[in-house]
Parts: sequence; structure tokens; C-alpha cells
Amino acid sequence: MPISKSSSEQAVFASSTYGQQWAGPDGDRLTIALQLLQSEMPSTIQIDSFVDSLEFTPSTPVASIIESTTDWTVSSDGEFHLLASTTSFIVAISKHESIRQWPDLPSTKPVDEQQKTALEEAWMNEIMGVSQGAYVSQSQHMLAMPSRLGLHAQEDASKIVWPPRQLNEQGQRIAPASNRLDNAAKILTWTRLSAVGAPSEFSLRAPLLGGVSTVLVEFSSGPKGVFMLADDEEGQASIDQRVTFEVRRLYGQDNLIHYGLKALLN
Amino acid sequence: MVDVAMVGAGQTKFGNHPLGLKGMWSEAVEKAFSSVDNDCSPSMVEEAFIGSIAFGGSQLGNTAALLTEHSGMDGVSVRRVENACASSGFALRDAWMTIKSGQADIVVAGGIEKMNDLSAERKRYWLGVSGDTEWERLAGLTFPGTYALTARRYFHEFESTHDDLVHVSVKNHMHGFDNEVAHLRKDVSFEKANSGAMVADPLTLYDCCPTSDGASAVILVADHLAHQFTDTPIWVKGSGAGSDKLALHDRPSLTQLRATQLASQKAYSIANVQPNQIDLAEVHDCFTIAEVLATEDLGFAGRGEGGRFARDGLGRRNEGDVTINASGGLKSKGHPLGATGTGQAVEVFKQLRHQVESPRQVRDAEVGLTHNVGGSGATCAVHIFGRER
Repeated sequence: MPISKSSSEQAVFASSTYGQQWAGPDGDRLTIALQLLQSEMPSTIQIDSFVDSLEFTPSTPVASIIESTTDWTVSSDGEFHLLASTTSFIVAISKHESIRQWPDLPSTKPVDEQQKTALEEAWMNEIMGVSQGAYVSQSQHMLAMPSRLGLHAQEDASKIVWPPRQLNEQGQRIAPASNRLDNAAKILTWTRLSAVGAPSEFSLRAPLLGGVSTVLVEFSSGPKGVFMLADDEEGQASIDQRVTFEVRRLYGQDNLIHYGLKALLN
Repeated sequence: MVDVAMVGAGQTKFGNHPLGLKGMWSEAVEKAFSSVDNDCSPSMVEEAFIGSIAFGGSQLGNTAALLTEHSGMDGVSVRRVENACASSGFALRDAWMTIKSGQADIVVAGGIEKMNDLSAERKRYWLGVSGDTEWERLAGLTFPGTYALTARRYFHEFESTHDDLVHVSVKNHMHGFDNEVAHLRKDVSFEKANSGAMVADPLTLYDCCPTSDGASAVILVADHLAHQFTDTPIWVKGSGAGSDKLALHDRPSLTQLRATQLASQKAYSIANVQPNQIDLAEVHDCFTIAEVLATEDLGFAGRGEGGRFARDGLGRRNEGDVTINASGGLKSKGHPLGATGTGQAVEVFKQLRHQVESPRQVRDAEVGLTHNVGGSGATCAVHIFGRER
């Protein structure tokens, strides 16, 4: 979902295309902030007050998410401040510590109020749930974050390796990630799961969204991966179609919100 | 080296079973021992291997000891074998290897799963525990999803459509209709199977196997004991197993199961049998596309010809060279995860002894094969059985 941006003397502002009242079905202030940061020249940034503005606690530190996903460096004496309105879904990058007047950022995409309310409730209920079976721990999310959010890839015998692997067939340890995959890939196959077929992590939201779509893609450098599709209300995936990736909320569990890359149809 | 014979085999009905774990397992064991022609009792068993995912978490640890305790095998050396849906296929292989290596002469292999006593939400969690949790599951995939990805790619790469999958579904329901232990005993027309509710596009309800309860057990013995127990032992002529990357996206091909290819190559080689010598094959059709792939990977159809194989009805009972899923397969007979692999062996045991009630008997069945896959293909065990040693 492209963000809506506006600038003033004091800051660069952004909201989702739904405007200041909603960040979208799987968006929040952090996902908007990441897109805003990616669209600006990287520098150093302070994030303390921004972290306080988030509705839910991320499963991994916000600083790590920002540094895995963008080229910005989080620092307590950073040149810029990342700020968010606590009464709307507007995010700003500013050299000031606070924003005196938040702008009005209109929506460019209509908001279905009924769906918005239902999804907000679903997120609230989902995050309070606990795993009843397979689950990915907080430390696992932390370990895989550069790969999951930043597409950081390893290299082994001139072959790009992603998602991360441990030993190769010679029993040698594959070196840590030194490459980054393109932020685009080609769909090899796809499916749309009905609410019944979706994993339990998505069982509250899937019925509201009419199911969830997943694409299996191939990156130009070779690796393949699977991603949920986002913002596909008006389009259907097809084989050989190109997608790009954005960080979105994946699911909530154990009072933590988990983020990951989702694919967007081009 | 020692040859291995199957002298007894039994199972519960697959489906929504009223009994609990202990009741189901003891019923399967009771039926297995009562199928042995001459005296044989649980107390004679030296080793036991029981496949189960321990679905729902009920008695997750030491499952096997609890079950043997309640089936007359108290004190036996036993362990749970877990390889997702291929758990008891691997239990069977472990039992075969144990006798082959001379460590024991009388061994029980079996499997069990109780899946229908959970809440819908808990069941949904457990149905997803055997896929790739970290990447596939968090991308919204359960097994219907991964097999749907495979199906769509298969249609893209080869001259095949969803109609071919419908033919698989219709055939297996037809085969299972007369099987008294089958979960879904209903004849399904092409039109009906082609109009199921969408589960994971392009797979519909009629492309998916049911969630079943069930238990199964077989008794294997060393060659020198075989004729002590029966005049018609069924010989386990070959056993092979293989594995592959857990996640579909990590595999070179999306439309082949390397684990099946590796397992079947080993089994055929050990048995000294060619695919065209197989009279019946119980293949792992957890989803209809899985049977299409299996017919290719097991060598019954050429690469990309599995769809046509189904379309032309070549796997129907007594119509082609090989009958595929005479029992109804997972689609109709049912799929109690850990019990499925040895459940397939129970069917082959009866078919090769020509003890299956009409009209299900495969004519002149001499050589049979079982194919048991874990998850979307991370593990696979293949066994070849024969009336001749």
C-alpha cells in the first residue's frame, strides 16, 4: 500500500492511503513509519516517543526492525526524531522533538467502517490468545529478523541462500548473511485459502478478509519463498506476475505483535 | 540376511471413533493377532514401534509405553515413532530393519491418532504442526495451502486441469464405498466432486482427505518363524525411505516429491521389483494432487502424465495395470495421521492373501506397494510386499 506523504517546514508526514483514521487491515504506525523511512534519505534517528505510541508491543525491538528493514540507524542522539500522533495514524520524521500541529491527511482509498471495526476487534482478541500448538518463539523471531524483514541472504559456493541455513553438504558452516535479495520477485504459484483452510494464527481475521492469499515466489538471484499477499482486494495473483514486499503485521499472540514481509501485486 | 514376513494385520474403522487412545490401539492389536492363522499372542512380541503425532497433546510423552501396557505387551521394548503423517510407515520400516538386523524375531509396528475429540481451534493448531512453522505457516499456509500451490504449478507446467483431480476423488470414493473400515463410504459423482466448497484454491473439499481417528497394527516375524504362524505369510520384499526439504519453497521442483523418488528407488531395488510388476498400490493421497504426483514419482506414469493417468482411469480397480488405492485411500478410507502407514499395510496384507470381500478384491494380486508421506513431502516410506518370498 503506498503511503500518502506531505511536508512542512517542521517535518515529513505520512499516513496510509486510508488516511489518518486507519492504517489498513494489517498496518499500524510502525508499518507506515517503515515506508516513510524507506522513502527518505537515510540518516540517524531517535525513536523513544514513537515506540510509546504503538498500540501493541512488537515481538522484536523497534530499533532492530527499523535497522533490518531500512538503511537508517537508530541512535539516542540521532539527527532526526521519529514521531507519531497518538490520536491518528500519522507518522512524521522531524528534526524537532515534537510536532506542534499534526496535519490533516485525507484518505485516497475508502474506509469500510464496519470492516475496520471488526478487524480492530479481531487484532485485539488475537493478541491476547496463546499458542495451543506449533508456535514461533520471540527469540526465533529475533534470530530470523534480518532475513524475515530485510531479506538478508547468505552466500555459499557462489549460490545465494535464503531463508538462512546452517551447514552445507560438505558440513561447513554457511557464513552469516552478506547479501540482500531484491525487493521484488516473480510468482511461481499461488493459492487463496478460505477462512476454514487458514492457520489458526489468522482464524479471527481470515473470515473478515474473505480468506488469505499466499504466493510462492522466485527471486532473480535464485532463492524461493512464500509470503502472504496484502492489499489484494481488487486483484488476483497470477503465475509469472511480479510482486514487491512491504513490512506488515503478521499476527498477534502472547500479547506481542509479530511483523513480516508481505507481497504486493504490481 | 533374514527375510521378513507379515503374518498378522488389523485396524480399527477409521473415522470419528468413539474409543480413546487405549481402546483404539487395543482393538487394532486384537484384530492383528486374531488375523494370525496359528497361535500368536502379544506376550511373544520382542520389540514394538508405534507411529503417532500424539495429536492434540494427549499423552505426548511415553505414548508407546502406555499403549503397549494396555495391549498385552507390558514390558516390551517400545518407542513412539514420529514423522508426521508418515509416522507408522517409518514404524514399519524400523520394525523391518530390526528383524533384518537380527535384533528380534517378532515385532509389532503400528500407528494411532485421535483427532476428533478436540475443539475446532485446537485441531486447527495441530493440523499445522508438521509443516514448516517458521516460514510456511507464518505465510498463511497449512497443508491444503501447500498442496494447492503444488496443484496450480502442476497445471501450469503440464497438460492437466482440476478435472484430473476430480477423477482421483471419484475413483477413491468408489473404491472406499465398499470398505467397511473406511471413514467416508459414499459414492461421489464427477459433478458432485467438481462442485465442492473451495478450501485452498484450486483445491476443494473433495480434493482433501478427512480428519480421522484410527489405529492400525501389523505383526512382522523373521523368515524362520513365518510358517509357524501361517501358511500364507506376506513377505516384506523391500523397504525404502527418503527425506526432502521441509518447506516447499526450498525444493528444486514444486511438482515432484524427491522423498518419494528416493524411497521408492531403494524399495524397488531391495525387492528386485519394477513398477510394472506392482498389482496394487496404496498411495498417500492426502490431497488428490498428491496421488497424481505419486503415480509419477513411483514410476506408474511418466513425468507430467499423472493427470492423464487419472483422467483415463488407469488406477481404477482391475481396470489398468495397477490398482491405486483399492481401500479408498486417505480420501475415502480416511487419514488418522500416525495410523495411516500401517493402515495401508493392513489393506495390502488382506489383498495379497485374497481375503478382501467382493467386490473390493484386486484380481490375482501378487505384489503390493505402500507409500506413506510426511507432511508436504519432507519424509516418505515405501514398502513392497509379495506373496512370493
